[in-house]
Amino acid sequence: MKSYTTRAVAFVASAAMLALTACSAGSSTSGGSSTGADQSLSLGLVAEPASLDFTTTDGAAIPQVLLGNVYESLVKQDESGKIVPSLAKSWTVSPDRKTYTFDLVDNAKFTNDKPFTAADAVFSINRVKSAWTTSLKSAMDVVAGAKALSPTQLQVTLTKPSNGWLFRMTTRIGAMFSETGVSALATAPIGTGPYKFSKWNRGDSIVLQRNDGYWGTKPQFQQITLKYFKDPTALNNALLTGTINVITTVQAPEALSQFTGNEKYQVIEGTTNGEVLLSFNNSKPVFRDLRTRQAIRQAIDHKALLDTCFAGRGKLIGSMVPPTDPWYEDLTSVAPYDVAKAKSLLQASGAAGATLRLRLPTLPYAISCGQVVKSQLEQVGLKVQIDQQEFPAAWLTTVFKSADYDMSIIAHVEPRDLGAVFSPTYYTRYNDPELQQYLAAADAGDEAAQLDNMKKAGRRLSEQAAGDWLFLLPNLIVADKNLTGLPQNAITENFDLSRLARS
Amino acid sequence: MRRLNPSLVAGGVIVGVIALMALLSFVWTPYDATLVNPSGRLAMPSWEHWFGTDKFGRDVFSQIMVGSRTTLFVGVVAVGVAAVIGVPLGVLAAMTPRWPSELIMRTNDLMLAFPALLLAIMFGAVFGASTLTAMVAIGIASVPSFARVIRSGALQVMRTEYVLAARAAGRKPFPIAARHVLPNVTSLITVQASVSFAIAVLAEAALSFLGYGTPPPTPSWGRMLQESQEFLFSAPRLAVFPGIAIAVAVLGFNLLGDGLRDRFDPKLEDRR
Repeated sequence: MKSYTTRAVAFVASAAMLALTACSAGSSTSGGSSTGADQSLSLGLVAEPASLDFTTTDGAAIPQVLLGNVYESLVKQDESGKIVPSLAKSWTVSPDRKTYTFDLVDNAKFTNDKPFTAADAVFSINRVKSAWTTSLKSAMDVVAGAKALSPTQLQVTLTKPSNGWLFRMTTRIGAMFSETGVSALATAPIGTGPYKFSKWNRGDSIVLQRNDGYWGTKPQFQQITLKYFKDPTALNNALLTGTINVITTVQAPEALSQFTGNEKYQVIEGTTNGEVLLSFNNSKPVFRDLRTRQAIRQAIDHKALLDTCFAGRGKLIGSMVPPTDPWYEDLTSVAPYDVAKAKSLLQASGAAGATLRLRLPTLPYAISCGQVVKSQLEQVGLKVQIDQQEFPAAWLTTVFKSADYDMSIIAHVEPRDLGAVFSPTYYTRYNDPELQQYLAAADAGDEAAQLDNMKKAGRRLSEQAAGDWLFLLPNLIVADKNLTGLPQNAITENFDLSRLARS
Repeated sequence: MRRLNPSLVAGGVIVGVIALMALLSFVWTPYDATLVNPSGRLAMPSWEHWFGTDKFGRDVFSQIMVGSRTTLFVGVVAVGVAAVIGVPLGVLAAMTPRWPSELIMRTNDLMLAFPALLLAIMFGAVFGASTLTAMVAIGIASVPSFARVIRSGALQVMRTEYVLAARAAGRKPFPIAARHVLPNVTSLITVQASVSFAIAVLAEAALSFLGYGTPPPTPSWGRMLQESQEFLFSAPRLAVFPGIAIAVAVLGFNLLGDGLRDRFDPKLEDRR
């Protein structure tokens, strides 16, 4: 009798548990109606940020998610690269080009409910100088001071005229922070953008919720999940199985054919700012000889490399300037593929037989290209040791911060980053006074002088072989057919989520 | 005269061929296994390239040959690590009084309950992906099975009359272990090593597939499989050849282990 009772109790308990499970499953489905399939979107990305604080942590992955979506800047770039209003409705520049006066929107507020005012802009600009620790903070060195003329009017004074400063204000440097919202930037960012940060499942995803108090046009999707994938095939499979709706950057272009012929998907192919750079540690004795650097550039068959490691998609550029910049010129002929010349240059410089450490971030394109680079450099008499560094944490620490490397491969996706990447303090450790002169003249001069000097700077880099530009990453996006608002070209630091919609 | 054991023969032949292939790859491969040849990428199997070429234009057959080195090297070191730690632990557990023996075996059970691949991935994440990390991790994960098998064998030896006589004669535990126990569990060690070898081969392939094993450009069967993923629709042969190599190697070591076990324990064979 006791046995029957026990079994009955167990059965009832099991049934109750099943019922509860069913209820909870149902409730999550019904609860999902507010963030259901038409209200939520999942995007697949490759490189997960190491932190959410781009004021202290380098790397493009943080502004890619947060800039323009959670944080906003005074001005932003449109898809053609033109500087357009954002939190500043309009602005004027004084005749001496040293004073900028911004008229700010009056209805923006941070997600901590504090209104955005000129005082916040002053705080944000000053904070770049006082609290930021990343290398990009130098872009604000030209600012002499910022003051709030009224709650909606901001005046910024520069120490000298600068063509680059306003452009830099469209990047992460220009992000506006609330004075009361910077205590936990690494885990809880607070901005004025169309989305607010919701949660970060480390190693998996970042979730953003629509900011219903947004001052501008509200985005269509209530929730956007950014899912990170280390394996490019897993990323492709996630779209095929409906786990995600967008592959923001295709990393396995050889497998693109599975989407191109499929009417469920759209494939967008455009251009980017992402120069895939074979960087040299120019502080190492072996790289101080121009002939060695030139030999490495001429030992690499760039066309074959692009075909092999990125299925021929992308563009050969020959320097640090993408075609979307006004001062672009095709510099691929500066260092043509010439094995015999490369060998003789190495013999002349005495670097033949030298062993170089190629420290690669664990990013699919870097691992692929690294194997081609190693093979081609070994054919001209160099020895190359490949060493993988977990990206971002280990690579940022070892290569980027400590410059403990000989060569590396990574895409630099920041817009107009020529001067930042090739400076004595950056991980390339490139110290070239002539280049700095061109950059200074470009920044201070009029539009024609800027164009002329930036062209000279691009050519100088290429001729001095400060690095080797393997190719320019294409903007390869695959998404559900009915999604609109995806960028044709990726020329800004951020992936604009606010324009995404279902048709 | 005893008839030849088919498992032993088949396993021995397969393992022998793999070992020969690995040795031969030190002095000859059809092509340099790491030489990138963009103009000859994704070539179909032909007389020039028996297994075709991969996306880098590298000869797949040469990669399989050199990859067998990685496989055997990982297997030898991993099994070595497992044996060096596991065998003394097993003998110790058999020869010590109850509570130290229980402590060793329960700790062993704890380790046995931990998934081997997960342990190896943790090692890879902490110490970085490399062949060495994979070898040590797989070796450590194989320690419990060695210890368990060797303990049971050692317990049987400890009950034999000659060991009892040696103990009665006042021989110390260490000489007993060295002179009587270890020589009598050698067959068990050999069989367990062969079985663990098969597991190590599979584990190395899995780790390299997941990116926690042998880093590029050193050829590895698991990484060849991983790199072939993007070509599953356009060039599935790139997955087939390393896949077959892994399957055959695992089969070979398992058959060899089976055959050795039958050989050392004929009673088991007769029961079939």
